[in-house]
Amino acid sequence: MNKLLLTFIALLLITFVSAITGLHFGPASLTSNQVVQCLLGTCDNQISQMVIWQVRVPRVLVALVAGMGLAIAGAILQNTTRNPLADPYLFGIVSGAGLGATIASLSLGDHLAIALPLAAFLGALFAITIVLFIAKVLQRMEQLLLAGVAVSFMLGSLTQFILYFGEPFATNRVIFWLMGSLSRVEMSNFYVIASVLLATIITIIALHRHIDALLLGDESAASLGVNVDRLRLLMLGLCAALTATIVAYCGGIGFVGLMIPHIVRQIIGVTTLKLVIGSALIGGSFLIWVDIIARSALANAEIPIGIITSALGSLFFLFIMVRTRHTN
Amino acid sequence: MPIQLQVDQLSWSINNTSILKNISFDVNKGEVIGIIGPNGAGKTSLLNCVTNQQKNIRGAVLNGSVYLNKKKIKHYSTKQLAQNFALVAQKAEAIFSLTVIDIVKMGLLPHKSLFALDDDHDKAQIKLALVKVGLAHAEKMTFNSLSGGEQQRVLIARALVQQAQILILDEPTNHLDVYYQHQILHLVKQLKVTVIMTVHDLNLASQYCQRLLLLNQGQLVADGSPIDVLTESQLSSVFKLPCQVEQRSTEQDPSSHKPRVFFSLPRDQASKIRVDVQDE
Repeated sequence: MNKLLLTFIALLLITFVSAITGLHFGPASLTSNQVVQCLLGTCDNQISQMVIWQVRVPRVLVALVAGMGLAIAGAILQNTTRNPLADPYLFGIVSGAGLGATIASLSLGDHLAIALPLAAFLGALFAITIVLFIAKVLQRMEQLLLAGVAVSFMLGSLTQFILYFGEPFATNRVIFWLMGSLSRVEMSNFYVIASVLLATIITIIALHRHIDALLLGDESAASLGVNVDRLRLLMLGLCAALTATIVAYCGGIGFVGLMIPHIVRQIIGVTTLKLVIGSALIGGSFLIWVDIIARSALANAEIPIGIITSALGSLFFLFIMVRTRHTN
Repeated sequence: MPIQLQVDQLSWSINNTSILKNISFDVNKGEVIGIIGPNGAGKTSLLNCVTNQQKNIRGAVLNGSVYLNKKKIKHYSTKQLAQNFALVAQKAEAIFSLTVIDIVKMGLLPHKSLFALDDDHDKAQIKLALVKVGLAHAEKMTFNSLSGGEQQRVLIARALVQQAQILILDEPTNHLDVYYQHQILHLVKQLKVTVIMTVHDLNLASQYCQRLLLLNQGQLVADGSPIDVLTESQLSSVFKLPCQVEQRSTEQDPSSHKPRVFFSLPRDQASKIRVDVQDE
């Protein structure tokens, strides 16, 4: 227990240091002193104050909660479906969001700033509703992932069809949005994502024993008094809402939900409470650092964050495959 | 001994196919009961109906009643049922690297409210359960790295932490070698709780169960002590094989005689099998 507590304290410190480090990066060059002064509200330069509080703080905080949310959603989906490859993105959430964003981009011109996140959110919920409907009709909750992949392809092809015949400028906008970016996030986005994240975490803490019981199979969980289908549905709905909210503001950021829980299982444990706390801390720090790379890797341009997470994710999985082969 | 569980004229069918037919029996507190019978006789279905785990199956119709402590089972919530019945499945496959203690801890679930964390009493209970099944040294080991017998003992430890009045075991010895079969059943008998289990091996059932229920095609054919149930005529008729039954004492209990069952194929069937093999 002491070792576990120490690990969590260390991770908490890393998260805090990551967040403070994240505030140092950006086009305006600010010293550590200036950053700290601006954070404490004692900054003498009005512009620096604005850069910190209106640009960098929202960006770092959104990166933190988005990373936490994606990692938690992945961890919970993997534990409730007993599938280590379950990921919020495999349930058609991004394809649905992409379809929503496409329709909004092509049909609304000037009101896009507000409409795009909303349309993406509705699209993601639409996708997850179809997935749940299919699983319900089939009466096989374990086939959720397959249903998700099918819906994902279906909505993806519909999006591509619309984009192919759509206006090129709008098409570009949607494609860039789907690559994921934190460059336009605001403090209000943080509040929305943080609220959904908090509701999800509270629900998970309340039901962590029930989710753990699923790790030994449905029958075993049912014999311990768990309503397996209802629990799975609730968790899927929560993870879908959380991911949809993040995707709506940040676009497509893949692999976080797949990669982070995998690391946490290796160093902390597999049961829900440990996994969720670990995933939140590592996922949050991870996305802050990825965003730092996105902002600073190229001199005059920002790399879409989704490109970096996907590249790191694929390398990570190749590494795991090689390591597993050596271990075997 | 007071009656703990009453099964009264229980019938169960799925899509008009009858699985269990008019079954009635009582279970007294502290009894170790074995349910025996050929494949498809309805043994696992009976366990599912008794524990009310059958309710989610589509097209199923249940008639008759099961009473637990004189109250109908369908009036118990799922949580209350989990407080009363602990199920030990024939095999559990743990996903990820679940440790022994992770699994035993699951037994706390029916007794914990939402948000409740483990307290010192819970930890002591988990330790005690692991000591009882002889796995105190293995609490940090991963479940999948254990032998079949050790995994069964972990599941029994979880059932102990669950503090249920009745332990339900579905083919607990199916995947185990002879040593672990005896080890597990001996352990179960030592626990001094009510046990209902399905058993394929009639000699193990004879040795470790106080009472046997013989099922055939969904009907309860015999209910009584091993000596009363394991008779040549009954077993030959149910298993469709000639059999011999001998009375033997065990090393542990030389004074009591337990039936020992030997089956063999009839000569005409045995010779047919040999001819078929030669033909190939």
